[in-house]
Amino acid sequence: MIKWFVRGVTRRRLTTRYPRAAEAPPARFRARALLDPDAVDPRSAAACAAVCLPGALGADACGRLRLDAGRCIACGLCVDACWDGSLTIDSGYELATTSRARLVVGEQARASDGSTRPLGGVFRRSLHIRHIDTGSDGAVEQEIAALLSPYYDMHRLGLFFTASPRHADALLVTGPVTRPMEQPLRRTYEAMPEPRVVVAAGTDACSGSFWEAPEVLGGVDRVLPVDVYIPGDPPSPIALLHGLLLAAGRVREVSPPHPEPQPSAAKMSSG
Amino acid sequence: MISLQDRRCEQSAVAAELERIGGRLMMLFMTSSGAARELFAIVRADTSTIRLRSTITGDSYPALTPRVAAAHWFEREIHDLWGVVPEGHPRLEPLVRHGPEQGEIALPANGDVGAEHRGGERLSGPGVFVFPYGPVRSGVFEAAQFLVQTGGEDVAYCAQRLFFKRRGAERRICEVPLELAVLVAERVSGTSSVAHALAFSHAVESLAQTEVPVRAQSIRRVLAELERLYNHLEVAVRECEDASLSVAQAQFAALKERLHRLAAEVVGHRFLRGAVIAGGVRVDLDASAVDLIGDTLRDWERDFKRVLAVLLRTDSFLDRLVSAGPLSARDARDFGCVGPVARGSGIDTDTRRELPYDGYPTFAVARHSDGDAMARMEVRFAEVDTSLALIREALHSLAAGPVHNRVGAFVSDTALGAAESARGETLYWLHAAGADALGFCKLRAASFVNYGIFNRVFDSQVLTDFSFIEHSLGLSPAGCDA
Repeated sequence: MIKWFVRGVTRRRLTTRYPRAAEAPPARFRARALLDPDAVDPRSAAACAAVCLPGALGADACGRLRLDAGRCIACGLCVDACWDGSLTIDSGYELATTSRARLVVGEQARASDGSTRPLGGVFRRSLHIRHIDTGSDGAVEQEIAALLSPYYDMHRLGLFFTASPRHADALLVTGPVTRPMEQPLRRTYEAMPEPRVVVAAGTDACSGSFWEAPEVLGGVDRVLPVDVYIPGDPPSPIALLHGLLLAAGRVREVSPPHPEPQPSAAKMSSG
Repeated sequence: MISLQDRRCEQSAVAAELERIGGRLMMLFMTSSGAARELFAIVRADTSTIRLRSTITGDSYPALTPRVAAAHWFEREIHDLWGVVPEGHPRLEPLVRHGPEQGEIALPANGDVGAEHRGGERLSGPGVFVFPYGPVRSGVFEAAQFLVQTGGEDVAYCAQRLFFKRRGAERRICEVPLELAVLVAERVSGTSSVAHALAFSHAVESLAQTEVPVRAQSIRRVLAELERLYNHLEVAVRECEDASLSVAQAQFAALKERLHRLAAEVVGHRFLRGAVIAGGVRVDLDASAVDLIGDTLRDWERDFKRVLAVLLRTDSFLDRLVSAGPLSARDARDFGCVGPVARGSGIDTDTRRELPYDGYPTFAVARHSDGDAMARMEVRFAEVDTSLALIREALHSLAAGPVHNRVGAFVSDTALGAAESARGETLYWLHAAGADALGFCKLRAASFVNYGIFNRVFDSQVLTDFSFIEHSLGLSPAGCDA
């Protein structure tokens, strides 16, 4: 056991400084597709929409191309098919938002509803999280578990997992909601004390992705009110941290870098 | 391309024929063409793969499970999906269906339920209760439920209930355009994306008789082995967590994270998705990527070896794993187990060698004869070495040339695709519908068969070893449920 102690105290520090400092994703990292609505050529748009399996790309009511990041699985096929330069890959980490509508780029009415600080930030000092899997592919769970690894170490931010929903502030839901998981999801939510936040982690949980089947109900918001959406297939650990801190009211949402570029580091709130 | 021997027999003779062939039952499923229903059994015999077909007339047929134990879950699945009754099945409860009719917990009513549960004492009497664990479990786990019958400490019986997560992947694969179907396969079991994409692509390539370029084969091997590494590390992280070895857990988790970061650098996805497609791969490895993989894995291997050396001398870890969750070679063989679970019980099985694909060179398959949780861990640790050697070999043998061949029109009606995931053999069975569409898909993840023996490894075990035993099997509910 002394060997473990020595190993434990002699290794160098690995932990990210996020959110105090920005974390740069690898150059090729695919977080989601990005759409520049002003550059869209209709013929290219049709070719792109045809290769979008989850239907993230589609026409809005006015026939213009829109991109729903809540459905995007970042496969990159639309970018390969696109020849007008309107679609690119976003490698950003900070994708979480409190409003489902804000995940849709190119929609006529850019949603400005919804607070960027759920519940006024009552969980700023600590957030206890109950995770529930409602039909995920299993990768999101590993990314969530990675938050406990030395690289991310979520305990330093006052984020904790809790076994009992009775002790939980946040419900972290992964996966499209399958029929057998609907009741367990409702019952877990009902067992939680108020105030409580619901975080949908991953594209599956945000929208149901491409799982259109009688077995699947769709996104978590078909069953419960969702406070924070974290798109991604699966969302990377930093994206999850950003979403959880957003649920705690400690960071702000980050607008997509295109068409109006924004600094990518989340600002710690003064609270 | 997997060549299949075709055989046909009467529905009353299937069990006898399977017994005569011996070997391992890989898949058993039903399809329909018009009004006729056909039962398909895919069997791996010593040196050949056999497809046994039988037309099912009426709404029942004599169950295979009493004579071929490996059929137990397949037949329950057939019963659920088709309403066809396997007469004489020892435990014909719903498996994949969840509904109001299955609201109450059902445990086997009598002591011995035939071939599915040979041996094992059943407890009864005051103080014995059933503890339902899941589908929402303490900690971050996938949805699965375990019904543990116990008097307090000893596990008398442990029944597993899965398919909470069934998303209808098999049907979805057939519905979507063929070139997009691999995206569904990648997300059946998100941690085995490469293996599922490979198995599916192998089947499509077999339908269209498409050759995969040599360079693409090498890249596929690199990706598949990289995936095996982080999945084996995941098991190590979980086992160290169970043993409360925080430092070991943190260091294995850090090692695993380095592999995911490497994957993101090379492919752009932390779970290597979007790389494998039918006909080849979508990403090429340039010289800098080859160097990056080589350099990263050299440092990684050194650090891994150091942590492992300390772990294998830590008594509090070994004490919990040695003799926990034993699986006899006979059970592993009878129930058709695959992957490290089977190899930990001494079974010599590895898809990479049995149904060779993508130019894998010959390599020694790691095996262990003890059959306990530690044996399964040692198999995985040995496979880490094998994987590293295979990656080096593949990077070294990276031939110049294209990485993708166009998949032409289908020339075969049916095809089997296979790949060895970190959890074991992954299978896709496809029927063509026309020149470029699929009419039927049956997938079988390694976890489907390995979950089938979950109750057997708990025979005469104690409750406190539950998580050690569970994690040593390294199963994926998502893959099992599909």
